[in-house]
Amino acid sequence: MTQVLGNKHMTATPATRVLGVVALVAVLLMALLGLVVSPADVVQGQAVRMLYLHVPSIWIAYGAFVLTSLSSALFLVRSSRRPDGGRHYDRLAGSAAEVGVVFTGITLATGMLWGRVTWGTYWQWDARLTTTVLLFVTYLGYLALRRLPADPRTRGRRAAVMALISFVNVPIVHFSVDWWRTLHQKASLSVGRRPEITGEMYWTLLYSTLAVTIVAIWLIVHRYRVIRLEEMRDEEALEALIASRLKEDDVQA
Amino acid sequence: MDLSPRNEVENPGEFRRKVHRNRRWAVLAATVVLIAAAGFITAQGLRNATLFFRNVDEAVEQRPELVDRRFRIQGRVIPSTVRSESGVTTFQITHGCVVAFVQHTADPPELFTSPWIPVVLEGQWVSSQAQTVAGVDTHHFQSDRMLVKHTNEYASVNEQRVSEKLPKGFLNDCAFEVSASES
Amino acid sequence: MSEVTTVVAGWGLSFIVVVTYALWIVGRGKTVGRELGIGGQEELDSGSDSSTPADV
Repeated sequence: MTQVLGNKHMTATPATRVLGVVALVAVLLMALLGLVVSPADVVQGQAVRMLYLHVPSIWIAYGAFVLTSLSSALFLVRSSRRPDGGRHYDRLAGSAAEVGVVFTGITLATGMLWGRVTWGTYWQWDARLTTTVLLFVTYLGYLALRRLPADPRTRGRRAAVMALISFVNVPIVHFSVDWWRTLHQKASLSVGRRPEITGEMYWTLLYSTLAVTIVAIWLIVHRYRVIRLEEMRDEEALEALIASRLKEDDVQA
Repeated sequence: MDLSPRNEVENPGEFRRKVHRNRRWAVLAATVVLIAAAGFITAQGLRNATLFFRNVDEAVEQRPELVDRRFRIQGRVIPSTVRSESGVTTFQITHGCVVAFVQHTADPPELFTSPWIPVVLEGQWVSSQAQTVAGVDTHHFQSDRMLVKHTNEYASVNEQRVSEKLPKGFLNDCAFEVSASES
Repeated sequence: MSEVTTVVAGWGLSFIVVVTYALWIVGRGKTVGRELGIGGQEELDSGSDSSTPADV
């Protein structure tokens, strides 16, 4: 990812182009497995195919928000010691959060459609749905905060603190189905618990999570690079302005 | 050294402040909207989420307090009890070995037909003489909204299991008898 | 809405969202690169991921 720092004029490198191709192939295979090869469910029928989008999306969102939090913590702890003032961490936090928000949105949308055919309703204010939409709104707020004009260090610090506060909700979302009574079912995948999904469906779900992870990595890397380009543009604009003023001052003198 | 942009604007400093102010207002407005949304969601959550439903046994036990109140009840549909006539579906649900007779007046979701499916019903207790598999009850549950609470179990249609799997021991030690398999 | 319609809508919507987002990122990279004035248009085109949005 640091490669881009010395590579000013592109958001792609040979490595990420390969990653893009891998992501494409992975997603096509995911669609084949999820939509054609994997069987229908005994209770839900074809609707079970939403599982392979809905569950990986929220796992990717969780992962992205973990990355945002770690980067934000590193920004707060190390920014003063880094030659770039910790902006690498800030960019990583910002790009991961944006990708996390996109996938939380996908989770909500696919969940609503899935809920319509299985529960018989698009929406209910149960603990899982409520905390998830709160997660979405909180990280939207985080992204809005990043756009507030301020000098990079102040902005970075503000955003980092907000990121750490926002993360508190992630475990609440995940465990809401265990802590409270919800319409939403219990977690489909949990560490240390035997999955209650039969073989082909289980493997399709795990594979889909891998495929969506590759896509998310591609998105985060490229978003990071765009943020870097934007920063360079702003810096160059400032430098150009200073230079032109210095020149004008010289002429006037 | 003056670093303000020099262009056609008469008062560049004022112009820049204005642009800055406008942007600040826009972001501030967006933040207020987001905080309001978060507040609304939290309020909805606190009101609804902590006790989304009562299980059948609890709803029967708390009947004196619940009479004339709308609430949600949860239980598994006993397959052999489902009847449907002119838009009204009657069936019995059970949880914790307690059975409730339900009269439901709206179209049930598609998955309702799946045997032993857990459902969440919205409505209230109505005084009546209801005959259930566990005996005569003094009330039935009058419902107008049904949500199917599907579980996190998934199984291929290719397998021979044809009904929602009952949790182990779900009907053990119950004073009434119903067949655990599909009726 | 039938089960199949739901699945098509869910998968379709998700793909559209991700592809649109990827295209936006690449487009934004191009725009900012151009604003930076580093490299020519050609270099930008060959350098950016014009093929990758469809990749995801």
